Amino acid sequence: MSAGAAAVEVVGVTKTYAGLVAVDDVSMRVAPGEVYGILGPNGAGKTTLLRMLFGLIRPDSGEIRVFDRTWADDDVRTLDGVAGFIESPKFYPYLTGRQNLEGLRLLDGTGLPDRVEEVLDIVDLTGREDHKVGGYSYGMRQRLGVAASLLRSPRLLVLDEPANGLDPGGIRDMRALVKRLAAGGLTVLLSSHHMDEVEEICDNVTIMRRGSVAFHGTIADLRTMAPDPGHLLRTGDDAKAVVVGRLRHPDIVVEPSPDGGLVATGSERGLAAYVADLVHAEIPLLAFTPTRTPLEALFFMLTDAEADPPSRPVVAGACR
Amino acid sequence: MSATVDDRPEVHAALAATRGQAGLAAALRWETRKLRAQLRSRALLLGALLAPIAVVVVVSAQSRPPKDTLFGRFATENGFAMALLVLGFASQWLLPLVTAVVAGDIFASEDQHGTWKTVLTRSVSRSRLFWAKVLVALGFGLVALVVLAAATIATSALVVGRQPLTGLSGQVVEPHSALLLVAAAWATMVPPLVAFTCVALLFSVWSRNAAVGIAGPVVLGMVMQLVGGLGGIEAVRPLLLTTPFEAWHGLLASPRFTGPLLEGCTTSLVWSVVSLATAFLVLRHRDITGG
Repeated sequence: MSAGAAAVEVVGVTKTYAGLVAVDDVSMRVAPGEVYGILGPNGAGKTTLLRMLFGLIRPDSGEIRVFDRTWADDDVRTLDGVAGFIESPKFYPYLTGRQNLEGLRLLDGTGLPDRVEEVLDIVDLTGREDHKVGGYSYGMRQRLGVAASLLRSPRLLVLDEPANGLDPGGIRDMRALVKRLAAGGLTVLLSSHHMDEVEEICDNVTIMRRGSVAFHGTIADLRTMAPDPGHLLRTGDDAKAVVVGRLRHPDIVVEPSPDGGLVATGSERGLAAYVADLVHAEIPLLAFTPTRTPLEALFFMLTDAEADPPSRPVVAGACR
Repeated sequence: MSATVDDRPEVHAALAATRGQAGLAAALRWETRKLRAQLRSRALLLGALLAPIAVVVVVSAQSRPPKDTLFGRFATENGFAMALLVLGFASQWLLPLVTAVVAGDIFASEDQHGTWKTVLTRSVSRSRLFWAKVLVALGFGLVALVVLAAATIATSALVVGRQPLTGLSGQVVEPHSALLLVAAAWATMVPPLVAFTCVALLFSVWSRNAAVGIAGPVVLGMVMQLVGGLGGIEAVRPLLLTTPFEAWHGLLASPRFTGPLLEGCTTSLVWSVVSLATAFLVLRHRDITGG
């Protein structure tokens, strides 16, 4: 690996399936030691991009370099120091968890230390390692997937929707594990369709939409672009509440919600003043709850399937 | 979950120095382990061991031998004839099925379990994985054949006896020579068995479906049997993969003739090479999108 080489460098990658463009001229750069998020709704092209990184599918054009190696030049050695899983990790159901890991270790080549016991302990599967994987719960398989990845002592960990299908406790544990691994210096490339997950874990993010890049930048940049927060209001007299908003608070927007009640959008200060006025006008306030976080709102703005895709990606700041 | 990645410098140094591709031997060990762990493969080998015993015992107890089949006339009074009777049946119906059960499933099961992405994101190339699977499937087919042959010959000799064998030309073959000829007749199954294995591997790679991978070669074998039985197709018959299964007849004639055997080896080789080459190219250029 040459000095200053990126952990992952994607340059102008395009992939088409039967006339449908799954990934369209995508470029991105993941620096060593970074936790990088690829965010997008289902079908945005995240998994296709990661499959190309792993060599499972070939791009029609463009190049993916992993620690300065490419599939064209280095074949499977491109994956030296790389581990992870695509979508939900899959194993042989008629083998035990330990047998699966031992088998995969065989396929990792020579020289790797035997860490089967250690990684089983890391993912809390000790005690269940000699049960057949066919009897594992979804969360246990997800953890076994992480264990199989750690077995390779990777420098780059690629996780595709790691929290998918997990219960809240499993999601919490998975995020905590990723954060701990990143704190140990590991480069993490993570795809997700949950804004909160990426916001919590990642330094930089690429937001994809319909195969194209809709945004590149840091989470901090993303925050500055986020719209004002929206809140769902339920009052004893919605019509009167709308009038109060329009007459006395031009800095906020109050409109009927399709799901019933009202949606008020504006700065926190403006919303606080509006609520105080409602109380002053003796309009009963039954509920006042945030609709979505500002980043979620921005995510939906950037990836809304109804809207036309941006002609060029929004690039806010350089990647580290 | 409570620990972190192993970031000790000595570990990274060791990894940098030694990391590399998994060799064919490692992939072979992995595929063998998987095969041994499958109930189906063990049951099949057990069946190859026990089924001939049952068949020999049942047929030898019949009051009327199956006269309409080759060596059937002598099967109840001659152990070598019994072993050849079983060979005639096995070559037509059993051997393509036995080898297809493993070979037809070995690639398709990766699609079924969604595990292509699991193994191909390690340090093993598609080529090595391909050849490891091919070798394991071929190895299993040969082991099954050896078990079937050994069980048949031993049970026939023990249950029916080791009398001199009457050959296809009416010649009498002494027991020692008869045993060698029967063993050689079973050995002639190897080339077409290898070819059927390769066809099953192609079905498995191409269809990505274990049922098609297993049933495909068996149905193909049946169709070839039917076509081979038609008249006026002498030019086509040597090309059929079922024809080499009958090449052993020449060993039991007097004088012996080996022309069909050599022809069968050529036919089997062509089928094997074409099937394997096609399967390799299909797998090599395939996009792994499932799982």
